[in-house]
Amino acid sequence: MRDWAYNLKKGFRSLRRMTTFQWILFVAMTLLAAFMLLPIVYLVNHALKPFNELFLYPPTFIAKQPTLQNFTDLIVVTQSSAVPVTRYLFNSIVMSVLVFFTSCLISVLCAYPLSKHKFPGRGIIFSGIIISLMFAPEMVGIPRYFVISNLGIINTYWGHVLPLVAMPVGVFLMKQFIDQIPDELLEAAKVEGAKELRIFAKIVVPLCMPAVATTAILSFQTAWSSDETSTLFMEDETMKTLPFFVNTLTNNLSNNVANQGAAAAVALLLFLPNFIIFLAMQKKVITTMMHSGIK
Amino acid sequence: MLPFKRRISIEAREAFSAYALLTPWLVGLGLFVLYPLIYSFYMSFQNVRVTGDGLIMQPVGFLNYKNAFLQDSDFPLMLVRYMQETILTIPVIVLFSLLVGIMLNMKLPGKGVFRAIFFLPVIFATGQVLNEIFNQGAAGLSLLEQYNIQPYIESNLPKMFSDPLLAVLNKFVIVLWYSGVQIIIIVAGLQTIGRPVYEAAGIDGASRWETFWKITLPALTPFILLNTIYTVVEMFTFPFSPILGLITNHMKYTGYGYASALGWVYFSIAFVLILLVIWFFKRIDGQSEKRR
Repeated sequence: MRDWAYNLKKGFRSLRRMTTFQWILFVAMTLLAAFMLLPIVYLVNHALKPFNELFLYPPTFIAKQPTLQNFTDLIVVTQSSAVPVTRYLFNSIVMSVLVFFTSCLISVLCAYPLSKHKFPGRGIIFSGIIISLMFAPEMVGIPRYFVISNLGIINTYWGHVLPLVAMPVGVFLMKQFIDQIPDELLEAAKVEGAKELRIFAKIVVPLCMPAVATTAILSFQTAWSSDETSTLFMEDETMKTLPFFVNTLTNNLSNNVANQGAAAAVALLLFLPNFIIFLAMQKKVITTMMHSGIK
Repeated sequence: MLPFKRRISIEAREAFSAYALLTPWLVGLGLFVLYPLIYSFYMSFQNVRVTGDGLIMQPVGFLNYKNAFLQDSDFPLMLVRYMQETILTIPVIVLFSLLVGIMLNMKLPGKGVFRAIFFLPVIFATGQVLNEIFNQGAAGLSLLEQYNIQPYIESNLPKMFSDPLLAVLNKFVIVLWYSGVQIIIIVAGLQTIGRPVYEAAGIDGASRWETFWKITLPALTPFILLNTIYTVVEMFTFPFSPILGLITNHMKYTGYGYASALGWVYFSIAFVLILLVIWFFKRIDGQSEKRR
């Protein structure tokens, strides 16, 4: 708390000491930042709009008569569903947390040798990753289904987690960051007698933390908002996840206008965990970036 | 004899530990990315029907690819249009993120808050929220209509350029929202340039302008390359890309064989684009190397 007050005081003091150029910069950045915040404003207000405002054209960003009606609607809708909503929520949490940790770990483990080791087949593996960067999951639904069913992991959490764990973008980001770590640093550690895993954990991971944290945010967000694994690989209703449930609210019903309010409320609720993860990780991104100074 | 033997064993050990670290990733990549991709490539040469007993395939050679360009009335047109848009959007995003990244690295009160805000759209990047706003037209620049910019562009440029340009301008806000990761990459890249370098340049009497071109930009080149590739990938795998929509539609109604063929055309274009970008940056790198 005291930190906050101190920072605020410092901020005001530096506001007074700004040059003209800094003022222009400050104003420009504030305007752009306001733009960046628009989706959140929209999301929150959309969830608070009464029914008649939801379908206004042109859409409004600010709700004129905010209500909590949508949330009570949501509770009514969820009570009538066959599987309790808490079950969907539980599945979503388990799956997202698993994806979050495994995909970060596996990506760094892959990026480090790709960047710093010499071994036969390195070029081929790296081009494999570049190729797989470009495919969209929509493309390979059917073959993936075969893999999943042959592995016998349909209707298990594995079926949720495994297809999402491989994040080529993450590996690519991390590799590019690790490339910037000077070889001398790693060699020095080796001369001092550090083993491979120690170098990895104490030098490589801390220095590419911005990339790790970015991948973490991306992977959590992908897992949390994906309804694909539920649609394709889960037959058992009790193994499906929250985004799938949200989609059934608006898509599958014939009177899909009726649940729009509830859907807007769910969209806000679905967004909150993303936001929390973001706040937690982005601090990591920024503080490590300020202190590490790789070179 | 002994040193030679020892040398090999060190190399072998390095390769061994590299593969040990790589294994989990390679297994995942092979099972869930490469194998499905190869399978879909195989399907693109077949006529695939889904029946109760599983898939029934009939080899048809290049028929699917031929149909994609000669019979399909939507695909080639949409592809060209989307490509024009993408090629215009990519430099806009890359330049914008470079600019914002550099501004975020300057002395500015509330820098931390700004960084967080500009990074924020990352969590929307694949979100339905963004799409919803976009569809409802709230993301366009109403300026375009108010100041008659649209007719001005239309009358002064050939249609081939004006249409995609207007499409990009219309999506300007979306462009801002899509550069979160890129901005962070640039900011992180700027941190890798040590302060002593700038101090030395200052002592030698270099102006800020010169410092930017001679120190900042060359040091950022690998990060700009990374950004460009990331943006290409982002644009192509963007879940609401009209082409992907078309492909999923064909998957449902026309058949997996044809949809796979369309997918492969689409991804080969992305791949060629990435190769071009890498080649281009290699050339720039080579030239600056020579100058040194």
